[in-house]
Amino acid sequence: MAAKKSGSAGKKKTQKKKMAKAKEREIRLDFIPSEMLLRKNTDDKLEMILSKVKKNIIVVLEEALTPEEESILIQNAMEEIDSKDFFGIEFYRMGHKDVGIFDRLSSFLTKRRSGMTIVGPTRMVEAIKKEPDHISVFAKVGG
Amino acid sequence: MSGGLVFQKIKGMFSLGRILGVFKKKKTISLGFYGAVNAGKTTLANRISMDWLGEEVGVVSEIPHETRDIQKVENVKVDTEAGSLNMNIIDMPGIATQVDFKEFEKFGLTEEESKNRAKEATKGVIEAIKWLNNVDAVLVVMDSTRDPYTQVNITIIGNLEARDIPMIVIANKIDSEDASPESIENAFPQHVVVQVSASTGDNMDDLYTAIHKHLT
Repeated sequence: MAAKKSGSAGKKKTQKKKMAKAKEREIRLDFIPSEMLLRKNTDDKLEMILSKVKKNIIVVLEEALTPEEESILIQNAMEEIDSKDFFGIEFYRMGHKDVGIFDRLSSFLTKRRSGMTIVGPTRMVEAIKKEPDHISVFAKVGG
Repeated sequence: MSGGLVFQKIKGMFSLGRILGVFKKKKTISLGFYGAVNAGKTTLANRISMDWLGEEVGVVSEIPHETRDIQKVENVKVDTEAGSLNMNIIDMPGIATQVDFKEFEKFGLTEEESKNRAKEATKGVIEAIKWLNNVDAVLVVMDSTRDPYTQVNITIIGNLEARDIPMIVIANKIDSEDASPESIENAFPQHVVVQVSASTGDNMDDLYTAIHKHLT
């Protein structure tokens, strides 16, 4: 009986190790829809972004952050940087200023912001580049 | 011209700061130097300060985040063809979204030195952003050899626009073979762009004239 117990404990340990290794190899993206973002104030929104990014999650927001929010995000990220696990963020915002006058009007009426923001941990997201017809995210696993 | 750009131009023409500026010209402007790390902010600040005061603002280094504290030189009197102006030069630490201490070790710093530098660099970034509320005008310094369409540049310019702070975009390092100042002009067509080389002093007279014309 005791031998059976120690056998199952061993199996559990191996399974846990396998899961941890798989986690190291995975890239997780969390898409946050604008309905969810509408319910959050700036502080809560930025706290949510940073807490996810610190867990190695790439966050895709269905809205463009404002320049003020971006500067607070940078400041908050700087405060969180340590010499062990977190070295900062890589992010890219599209839309907001780039959109046309009709998009602005629609955003004003619906209170929804157009555009999109991608935020990831710098140890995972190496670069986000704007190309003429698309945005490229260069990410690596196990950073 | 897109609808957004037209909107920006009209908004800029009728902004409160612009309207008040017609009636009032500041005697001394606090001129902030903003930009990404190693864009040449301190080299440019030194060039201006040396040209008119004969003293340097700060130390220049190839190691990133050499400027980690805000450095000021006050009462720099500049004479241009259009007239003279008085300014306080405020050289800011480079803005970054990431600081990895291991990057400094590549330049020969010890682990401890690198970690200290990283800590100071993060504080410098926070301070530089806070100081956006204390400057009258800004030179946004960009390295002409690099892609200008980065999030750091976009965030700096977006914040200046939101705060209605007048700015000139500097296409620096035009003496370099790889320089492409046109890409900066194309990336930020709604702003005045002046091409200079802070290290050789090329086009500095154009910059002084532009500061007098657009920032005072």
